[in-house]
Amino acid sequence: MRGGAAASGARAGRATRSRGSAWGLYLALSAISLASLAPLLYMARVSFGAGSDLPIAPADWWGHPLSLEHYRDLWSGGPMARFAFNSLLVTGVAVPIQILLAAAAGHALARSGFVGRGTLLALATAFLILPKQVLLAPLYLLFASAGLLDTYAALVLPHLADPFGVLFMAHYYQTLSPELEEAARTDGLSASAIFWRIVFPVSGPGLAVVGVNGFLTTWNAFLHPLVLTTSESMRTLPVGLALFAQSEHRVDWGALLAGSTIATVPVVLAFLLFQRQIVEGILKGSSR
Amino acid sequence: MKRGARPLGVLPWALAFFFFGVAPLAYALALSFLDYNPLRADRTVWVGLANYATALQSPSFWRALRTTAYFVVGTLPVTLTLAYAVASLLARARRAETFFRAAIFFPAALSMVVISLVFKSLYAEEGLLNGWLAAAGLSRIHWLLDPRLALPSIMIMDIWSSVGYYAILILAGRKTLPDDQLEAARLEGLSAWEVERRIVFPHLRPVLLFVVLLNTIRAFQIFIEVFVLTRGGPLESTLTLVYHLYDRAFYHFEMGYASALAFLLLILVGGLLVIQRYVLGERAREAR
Repeated sequence: MRGGAAASGARAGRATRSRGSAWGLYLALSAISLASLAPLLYMARVSFGAGSDLPIAPADWWGHPLSLEHYRDLWSGGPMARFAFNSLLVTGVAVPIQILLAAAAGHALARSGFVGRGTLLALATAFLILPKQVLLAPLYLLFASAGLLDTYAALVLPHLADPFGVLFMAHYYQTLSPELEEAARTDGLSASAIFWRIVFPVSGPGLAVVGVNGFLTTWNAFLHPLVLTTSESMRTLPVGLALFAQSEHRVDWGALLAGSTIATVPVVLAFLLFQRQIVEGILKGSSR
Repeated sequence: MKRGARPLGVLPWALAFFFFGVAPLAYALALSFLDYNPLRADRTVWVGLANYATALQSPSFWRALRTTAYFVVGTLPVTLTLAYAVASLLARARRAETFFRAAIFFPAALSMVVISLVFKSLYAEEGLLNGWLAAAGLSRIHWLLDPRLALPSIMIMDIWSSVGYYAILILAGRKTLPDDQLEAARLEGLSAWEVERRIVFPHLRPVLLFVVLLNTIRAFQIFIEVFVLTRGGPLESTLTLVYHLYDRAFYHFEMGYASALAFLLLILVGGLLVIQRYVLGERAREAR
């Protein structure tokens, strides 16, 4: 992991030159970090402002009064509370199921040979890079014909097909030695006992990657929640916010950015707790 | 030997994957050969390749492809250069590397809806950017309303949102470079610049090509940005393939035509992947 240490080793030899360049380095990194976070700080600042105008310049940030007005409006009047509830519900249901499916299917794919295993792996890998937009029209028609448009089932079910977690766990189990499982089998433990008592407890690190990446994709999901819901009360936060911004009326930026801030808080928390797992997921091909 | 484990564990996920992945894909292919409007299902006709022919003759299709091409040409060099520079700065940081990496990478975890909303507020007629211009005594710029500026405005947002993501990919590639190789180069008296050019850069070639490919594939799939910021306008100047597809499928209910567009997208992206295979061979996989 620490490739940067190599650069530092050589630098120590040229301490005099590197002191100046170290300043430059940290100055540059600070500037880039600021540029990277500034739009979000702006979002949060506007959301804690008052009135419907955008505070114009960062110079006015301090002078402009702080207020919870936009959050109060969102919670009392608008549908935003409902959007947030829907997002929480869908994520809360879909992600634990995704984790269980990934563990069970990943383990089966890693440890047993069955007819069609190769085909399934190849298809799943292909779906990692498949543009998901291809599925929109057929998913809409399938859910419509099943009478499931505008339901929580429509919001949750498509997430369960995601192949990333399964492929990731299959790979994860392949790197684990099967000895313990085989010993347990010789001792006469049933297949399900082996899975729950021996395999599942050591799956934590892998499942954390699956879980947090599943959380991000589910929480941020936009396309199928947009297409498979029709009434305002079934919108999730990203869909509700996006449609809110498109409304014919004058856009209430304060409220909109307050909603955006609400949608961002869980992402910040997940990021602070699981940054390493998020990076690992991205390096292993989790779609954003 | 794969023996004794329970292949049944794969079933729950395999069912979900079949119903919400594989089957819709097959359904989309079938739809693409039909003239099908769910509101007039009785008038469904098999039209063979007519939907594809219509798409290939439609100005909107070509406009969408041209938009994508502009997008790639405009963003890729900038994104790639910045991501490379940011990754090499991060690789040199000894102190607070974790903080800088987190700050720079964070936008990659954010919802594209939230990013688009924040930039929409920045680009608004009364937004921050125009506020700054006014304060400097300059006239207002119609960032999203001017057909010549709308696409570049979206491109700037895309660059902001993806530099950190690609920087992390490139940084991970740098860290697979063996330390002793760098050390040997320095002992030979190569300058930092020569080390970068003769050792690091060639080592990163597969990762960089992968970033080029990923960025191009993502450009073909741009949707949320356009949905939130411009709805394809003004004057179709930001019409992308996926927005066109969405518009045909869900405003005009031309499911057959939209599915043909979807498969054209699939063919384009698949073609890019084949080219990648050809150019990179198996090295790209290792680099990930």
